[in-house]
Amino acid sequence: MLKTTYKILSIPAIILVLGSCGAGKDDTGTEYAPNMYHAVSYEPLIQITEKDAGAWVSSDDDEYGEYYSSNPNNPHSMNMRVPAENTVARSENGMLPYRLPADSLELAAKILKNPFPANEQIIEEGKVLYTKYCTHCHGEKGGGSMDETAKVGGVFKGVPAYNVGRVAEVSGGHIFHVITHGKGRMGSHASQVQQADRWKIVRYVQTLQNQE
Amino acid sequence: MLNEQLNMSLKTYITRLSLIAFLLVNILSLTSINSAYSQAAELPTEEAAISEGQTLFKNNCMQCHAVHEVVVGPALKNVYERREIPWLINFIKNSQKVIASGDEYAVNLYNEYGKAVMPAHDFLEDKQILNILGYIKQQTDNPPVEETATTAGGEGAPAGGGGIPQEYLYLIIAGFVIVLVLILVVLSMIITVLTKFVNNKEDLEEADKEYVNQTFNLNKFVRSNGFLFFIIFLFTIIVVKNVVDGLYTVGVQQGYQPTQPIAFSHELHAGQYEIECQYCHTGVMISKSANIPSANICMNCHSAIKTESKQIAKIYAAIDYDPETGEYGDNTKPIEWIRVHNLPDLAYFNHSQHVNVGQIECQTCHGPIEEMAVVKQWNTLTMGWCINCHRETQVQTKGNDYYNDLVKAHDGGELKVVDIGGLECSKCHY
Repeated sequence: MLKTTYKILSIPAIILVLGSCGAGKDDTGTEYAPNMYHAVSYEPLIQITEKDAGAWVSSDDDEYGEYYSSNPNNPHSMNMRVPAENTVARSENGMLPYRLPADSLELAAKILKNPFPANEQIIEEGKVLYTKYCTHCHGEKGGGSMDETAKVGGVFKGVPAYNVGRVAEVSGGHIFHVITHGKGRMGSHASQVQQADRWKIVRYVQTLQNQE
Repeated sequence: MLNEQLNMSLKTYITRLSLIAFLLVNILSLTSINSAYSQAAELPTEEAAISEGQTLFKNNCMQCHAVHEVVVGPALKNVYERREIPWLINFIKNSQKVIASGDEYAVNLYNEYGKAVMPAHDFLEDKQILNILGYIKQQTDNPPVEETATTAGGEGAPAGGGGIPQEYLYLIIAGFVIVLVLILVVLSMIITVLTKFVNNKEDLEEADKEYVNQTFNLNKFVRSNGFLFFIIFLFTIIVVKNVVDGLYTVGVQQGYQPTQPIAFSHELHAGQYEIECQYCHTGVMISKSANIPSANICMNCHSAIKTESKQIAKIYAAIDYDPETGEYGDNTKPIEWIRVHNLPDLAYFNHSQHVNVGQIECQTCHGPIEEMAVVKQWNTLTMGWCINCHRETQVQTKGNDYYNDLVKAHDGGELKVVDIGGLECSKCHY
């Protein structure tokens, strides 16, 4: 009699246990093979700071749990570090880092030359990049804050149009320098847009300067 | 007597003096009022001039000024009442000259707005500047009312969502329940009436009488074989379904929706403001990971937008930024975002390969991210799910000479990912 009661009781127990396997709001759910899920190496975009996390499934001899993944030698025990200063990133087309400082806008406007020709293909590539990095503030046609497509620019306020006033007159070097270092209220976009891409955007922006 | 006379003359003298003083003050005040009015009246009011002023304002001023808000420079509302028009014209034409001349108001203004140089606008004619001021006056007199209305609507709209509102659904269901109960009552009334009617008949057989007068026996019903079988069947079905479902969710994090340290909403940024995914997730075209944006990307907009928000204050705290002075300190600390999509270490996935080469939309795997206030894992991200897509998806051969030739070599037929090794184990597991 007792046995059958246990049997009957075990059924809702199984339902409860299995029902809680799935992931939910703050819960990642049950893992099938945790040792194969959690990386042994330092992962750049995930960090578990509790030293005994996953100790119950730990298979090695160190004092840390299986899930622990932080580098105590780094600031804030982060897994990622900022590259050493003056590090030169490798680039596809061998471009050297742009070294003019932020306050050299006038010099940049005078001396910089766009390495890409103003042909259809480059302008088309520039347009794709422009749509991704610039449209929400400057608008599809570069109308600035008053452009309806500039959803953020409308809230941000004070984004000029490309084709009027002094903005229509600025050189390619000026545009490149402004994308790199920002100007006025516009921030630097150097961390987002690679150098070569910046020059392509310049080619497209120049077509917007000349419209109408 | 003499004393009295002197007194009198003094009195009249004083009253006369005070009269003159009163008149003088009056005239002065009148002229000053006049001058304030006349200055505003000097500004053009005709439509053509104001529309010219509007275009000029858009093209030359709007980069740094707004009428009602401080942008880079001060808000221009009422500016024609703050300073005299000749002063304004001088300042607009060449602000640096006015500042250099030592004009106190100009120097204060220059210092107050962070010593930002307002470029010279000497190409503008006096009449054009008056038109601009006319436009500013028109904007001052008619402050934009619709702006607050649209923002309120914009915030309210997404909450409503599409389809039938929840309250109506409840009302409809309640209506149905009431109708069903009424039908039940009517049916039971019919039964009692019919039973009475049949019982009143004299010529009823014994068996029929028993049938008519039988009562519902719950105990008997529960113990009947049919009912027991039905219950056991239902129970088994539920248990089996739950067990199978439960087993399938082991190791699958679909629906995982962690609470992030900063309540960032993709619905707002990617949905309402239509910021492209790549603007923040800069790695997606060029690297394995799409990357979590660094705070300097937030600051491209949030140096000016929503600077009062508590959530934005968390960004400021992380990068040690002072919104009052606009300066950065050294005491920075990382923002501890929680990773939502945790692919197991045993599988390799590369974003650039899929997004750049394969030209797959972000939403294909991440779901309608632009509608998520809090991001959750939309798809299962299981191996079966990957394989399925590799079997069905056509390779993007456009603009790729190698694949173009390959398609030609295959008589222009379909080229799915599976055909170029999309199911090879070692492509993802090594």
